[in-house]
Amino acid sequence: MEEIIEKQSRRDFLRKLSLGAGSLLIAGSFGFSWMIDPVTGKVKAIVIDFSKCTGCRTCETVCAAHHHQIETGGSVIPGISNPYQANIRVHHFNPDVDVPLVCSRCEDAPCIDACPVDPDPETGRKALYHHPVTGVPANDTERCIGCRMCARACESMRTGTIRPNPGSHMPEGICDQCGGDPQCVKYCPFNAISFIEVAHDREFAGLSPEAIGQLLIKKFYS
Amino acid sequence: MNLSMMENNIPGYFGRLLDVNLTTGEIRKTQLSKEILKDFAGGRGLGMKLLFDRLSRPGISAFSPENVLLFMPGPFSGLPLPSSSRTCVVTKSPRTSPLKSDFPDASTVSYSNIGGFFGPELRFAGYDGLAITGKSEKPVYLYIKDDQVEIRDASAYWGMGTDELETRLIKDLGSDRFRSCYIGPAAEKLVPLASVLNTAARAAGRGGTGAVMGSKLLKAVCVSGSGIPNVADPVRFHELLEKARQSFSEDTPSRKWWREGGTTNALEESSQGGTMAVKNYSEGTFNEVQKIGTGASRKEIWKRDFACYCCYLACKKSGMAKGAYGGLVHDGPEYETGSMLGSNLLISDLAGLSKCIGVADNLGLDIISAGNIIGFLMEAYDKRLINKAFLDDIDLTWGNVDATIALLTKMGANEGIGKKANLGVKKLAEIIGQGSEAFAIHVKGHELAGWNVHKAVDWFGISYTTANRGACHMNGGGPSPQNQSALRDSLGICNFVDEWYINDISFANIMSAITGIEWTNESLEKVGERIYNLEKMFNYREGFRREDDRLPERFYTDAYAGGPAAGIRVDRQHFTQLIESYYDLRGWDKLTSRPTSAKLNELGLAYLDTEYR
Repeated sequence: MEEIIEKQSRRDFLRKLSLGAGSLLIAGSFGFSWMIDPVTGKVKAIVIDFSKCTGCRTCETVCAAHHHQIETGGSVIPGISNPYQANIRVHHFNPDVDVPLVCSRCEDAPCIDACPVDPDPETGRKALYHHPVTGVPANDTERCIGCRMCARACESMRTGTIRPNPGSHMPEGICDQCGGDPQCVKYCPFNAISFIEVAHDREFAGLSPEAIGQLLIKKFYS
Repeated sequence: MNLSMMENNIPGYFGRLLDVNLTTGEIRKTQLSKEILKDFAGGRGLGMKLLFDRLSRPGISAFSPENVLLFMPGPFSGLPLPSSSRTCVVTKSPRTSPLKSDFPDASTVSYSNIGGFFGPELRFAGYDGLAITGKSEKPVYLYIKDDQVEIRDASAYWGMGTDELETRLIKDLGSDRFRSCYIGPAAEKLVPLASVLNTAARAAGRGGTGAVMGSKLLKAVCVSGSGIPNVADPVRFHELLEKARQSFSEDTPSRKWWREGGTTNALEESSQGGTMAVKNYSEGTFNEVQKIGTGASRKEIWKRDFACYCCYLACKKSGMAKGAYGGLVHDGPEYETGSMLGSNLLISDLAGLSKCIGVADNLGLDIISAGNIIGFLMEAYDKRLINKAFLDDIDLTWGNVDATIALLTKMGANEGIGKKANLGVKKLAEIIGQGSEAFAIHVKGHELAGWNVHKAVDWFGISYTTANRGACHMNGGGPSPQNQSALRDSLGICNFVDEWYINDISFANIMSAITGIEWTNESLEKVGERIYNLEKMFNYREGFRREDDRLPERFYTDAYAGGPAAGIRVDRQHFTQLIESYYDLRGWDKLTSRPTSAKLNELGLAYLDTEYR
């Protein structure tokens, strides 16, 4: 896969953010998910401002609804789904800290490393592979054997967003950024989620929700 | 899993009640009929119907294994509607008593509403409610994961404060997807004013629901669900949902008010208006209110705003207090906690006030009643009706933070003066005598909340005196607001969002889309009225009468000495007229307080008319 990631320092990124939104973002309160913008060719990420998140879980409900649409009376509308079926997940801790997380789109992708399926001779892809456009891990359900190794790798090494389907054990919960119009960003009542260009070297990248939760607890409650 | 597709169901409901008997260990899933779902909606209403039918006779002690403790979300709960987070805890009250009754353990119904995430999760698990009866032999907690329901040993958690418990449950259950309601140490010791909490600070505080839970040796209910209710008309529901989200997204002064300060804003507003509980309700304005108001809390304590499930307002605030009383602040001070442990006790040390709130939440005490009781004792001590020995050597002077913390701690332990205080102001006044009943601020034994009456008798006088759980500030100042309030508590929607759910996105239209039954505002209000009258009949059966709907003497005799409303008090004749016209509007008998036969018939409650004369 081609690397078209525009390198930016965190300082540049923060400056852009504060210029753009005039917001009260606290440095270091961000979590990321990546995508390559099909129009500009630049890398875009789902960015979560943990200092703004109130833990309402609206993001989970719109994500779950978007990914489980229903057809009724000739039209397709968002479904009504349990928020656990979302690809974004709000982790909750005591004292009150909420950590919404989506797939980090790790540069080294331990989930793909862990996939034991032999690469396809033509495409070079394992069952789990980098999506050529979005860059997020995608699963070839024809070849996936449901071994759960990708979920285990994600769980033990990174955010733990990949979870096996209870029946097929194939990976679920990987953010697809809604094809460029992320619903979580659109609907967050507190503007805590944005979809913007960022760089790989960021705080909290690939950390587990527990680790982020502990860092935030220290930050907010000490 | 899609249980709501079960036949014989109204869409939007699962038609199932999770029924747990802690004496026998029996766990059942009871079918709920279409009729009672339609007549009582859910939440407070459905809980009331189940309670009334199951407690088949009056005078059963609230702490009897026979008493039923119901956790009731509503038909909105679990759907992604803004602010559809509420759960109503319904039971027979351990707090109230009539002036006279044939039954020694007579008490009113109790219902208390809690936000957070518990109700939606219970519905995700596939239940319209949870009913607990019986009494366990040892401490237990209830584990609910969809259809898997277990009564588990809770000895490791017994005695644990709510803050530590919240952390431990998330850890021990291995997932923050479990949402839990629980009690603190106070409820374990059967402190009557003990509350049910979740997320360590959100409380079904009023009416002793936690004490009933404690009497059953039930420490916690932990639930996680993978399902979701269905709706009858997804297209219409989705349109309404989108409109509701748009409406909540608009940057209105109201939304700003909630987000910036929430009910904390009301501290300063109410003080200015002379409607605040100050110095055991003797005043309506607190000169030092700024020290505990929104500005001060934002500056000194709050770091974070928190929302309940799918809420756009995020009125729960948390942070850290500094100084001698420093430490974690889970919530507020918001209006009730800030007035009852603040202005009512003349406490204006913000960190000290926050500490008092934290101590009470950790013990699991109803802060409204606790603050009211402490205010009463402060006044009795100030007037030298009681001495320091009566107070176990606590120097309970006005504004004394350390003394308040000491007393709250004793209340949580149910020891010494704490045990006496836990009897509530009605019984304390009987013990202390010397005319102290005139400033014992309760109705039917249930203490008043942070809104004072002198200047707002038309609303709060009616709200407090006619509420079916004893004094209640959320009840409403007349029949229609009261019916609406009963309805909201039954739908599972927050009490603070009426102004967004109007016109197209009315509760009636949303209920129609969910259930496939065409509701109107009028037919839904009728549900609220039915619920309110059923509660009234429950209380009537226990022996409550018209004379129990009375205001504390203070409001008639003690005019405010200071503030913009100085000199004001309640005119006795005015209030008598007010409550009599209320009874007329209600269709209730002014002598007996009983709903008339005509009213019961109109509401489809005719069967009560013949049974309970």
